[in-house]
Amino acid sequence: MQTSRSSKQLSSPIASIHGSVSDVELARGLQSGSAWAIAETWHRFAPMVLMTARRALGSESEAEDLAQEVFHRLFRKAKTLREPDRLRSFVFSFVVRVLKSELRRKARGWLSFREPQAFVDVGGEAVDMESRDLLRRFYGLLARLGTKDRLVFALRHLESMTVDEVAASMNLSASTVKRSLARSTSKMSRWIESDLGLVGLWGGKGWDR
Amino acid sequence: MIGSADGSANGRGGQALEALTELARTSARPPTAGDLDGGLQALAARLTGEERRRGIVRRWSMVGATAVAAALISVSWLRLRPPTAAPAAPFALRYTVAGGRIVEGGYLREAGHAGMILSFNEGTEFSLKPGTRARLHSVDSSGVRIAIESGVATFRVTPTVQRHWLVDVGPFRVTVKGTVFSVLWDASTERFELSLERGAVAVTGPLSSGDITLHAGQRLVADVASAEARIFEDKSPGEPAVAPSEPIPSEKPVPRPSPASESRLGTDYRWTRPLAAGRWDQILSEAQHAGLKNILDTASSEDLFALADAARYRRRMAIARQALLAERKRFPASPRALDAAFLLGRVEEWQAAQEARGTQASEASKEPTDVKVALRWYDEYLSHAPSGAYGAEALGRKMILTNKYEGNAQAQPIAAEYLRRFPNGSYAGAARALWRGR
Repeated sequence: MQTSRSSKQLSSPIASIHGSVSDVELARGLQSGSAWAIAETWHRFAPMVLMTARRALGSESEAEDLAQEVFHRLFRKAKTLREPDRLRSFVFSFVVRVLKSELRRKARGWLSFREPQAFVDVGGEAVDMESRDLLRRFYGLLARLGTKDRLVFALRHLESMTVDEVAASMNLSASTVKRSLARSTSKMSRWIESDLGLVGLWGGKGWDR
Repeated sequence: MIGSADGSANGRGGQALEALTELARTSARPPTAGDLDGGLQALAARLTGEERRRGIVRRWSMVGATAVAAALISVSWLRLRPPTAAPAAPFALRYTVAGGRIVEGGYLREAGHAGMILSFNEGTEFSLKPGTRARLHSVDSSGVRIAIESGVATFRVTPTVQRHWLVDVGPFRVTVKGTVFSVLWDASTERFELSLERGAVAVTGPLSSGDITLHAGQRLVADVASAEARIFEDKSPGEPAVAPSEPIPSEKPVPRPSPASESRLGTDYRWTRPLAAGRWDQILSEAQHAGLKNILDTASSEDLFALADAARYRRRMAIARQALLAERKRFPASPRALDAAFLLGRVEEWQAAQEARGTQASEASKEPTDVKVALRWYDEYLSHAPSGAYGAEALGRKMILTNKYEGNAQAQPIAAEYLRRFPNGSYAGAARALWRGR
């Protein structure tokens, strides 16, 4: 993915926790290899990365692995950042790249006759057993989507990004994103309706009103 | 919401998809501070291990090896504890030294004339200006302690609750709470400066009875010799930490006490927290609003001391003297009464120094300001608490004043006593010079 295409400012659900050093200063610190900048970058962006990964994968443990990979790649490639004021978008572009490769890896697992894994552990103790079962089935259905469609779906519906933001992040055109969304939404709706177990759980939660 | 623009989400399946998506969106738990710290530790370990594999030359000092051993011991210990009670152990700290090396005793020896940089594997960085003398006391999994014996150093410390970063600067100690700041210590003039760029630090030292908490953009300047300590508001937190220009006192208006604070008068320890937070003007304002005489007659021992400290920091020496005298009069058996004796010596010394300079003290005082009064207070303290918290300071000040006003011969026995009792004290250099001048 070209960094220039992903430099659009992104909305983020998680604010920076250390706001006194600007992104520009931080980016320059990273580019010069300063040790403090590594820690600061982690503290500033890890919440965003972890939340995005947790929602996209449905797994806290997988999200942690993904965050490690994102920051590892980020620090190695920091010198390629051409616009220091776009640090947040630069970080997010790595999230998308790593998510894509992780989802591809999972898809290859399915092609090699293994069951698609939907290891769901988001929410921890805060999520009740029924909801966790629903989530497991939901992520199981998401795993049946193609890599691109799944990622588009996650960014649009789980991250609440606009179609334009999704397009910029994934280096796609807006029309491609819309077609992908239509495809994935249609498939997901159909699968849900045909999943009797899911419908039963869904009814039990009282969400059919 | 999954709208028509996003594809066909109609019917029972569409509604369920919307509900499930909402559930997935809201079920993700934000990472905790522990998650983040653990993640950073793992990342740091990965980066460090990778560097090692690449064969980049990294120096592991004896102290670093000790830190690894300490971490291993702590990990073993944690394994023996019940898993539910064991918090994640912080990973071992490692560091590299650029521009110098660690020699025996933990001293940092500069290799050239460009200063030195200590970089820790969790992101913290100490930058020592050329010519700065420093000593690394300890590095282990629980934190770091370093002493700046002279010169200028900048600290950029990664925030964490798992480690303690302590910086000894001359007779001052800075407890770091995750921040960026610079310190200056001039041992010859006993001048201390701390400029805080961001975060917060707590400073303890001979000029305060408790912590002085500084916030971003504040600069503490302390002159130990004249017992002066002042806080300035730097114009911008981003400015160079040790500004070359003369400091300008803060012009912030003195806040009027609120009705709520008035109602708190008479309650013990009401000024302890404002003092620690550096809200000295608030303390002075409340004391004056309530009536100074009333406060001196009724306030608790801790509050009197807090008032005295606030007054000293703001150079309101007449108020400081009155508060300290009230402390001794009303609470003669308390440990604070002894501390007050030492601090009264500092107040008198400051007053005498102001008069000797021919400058107008910030407040007129009818009290005697002869330096002999200061000496009597130091003697009073030393006779009752020779090993007390201010013992070294009292003896050191007594030595300096005696030398200045009574001559070298009178001061030498005091210098000898100081060297015998406090060979590494902040006045040891002066004491040796006095002793050599026999």
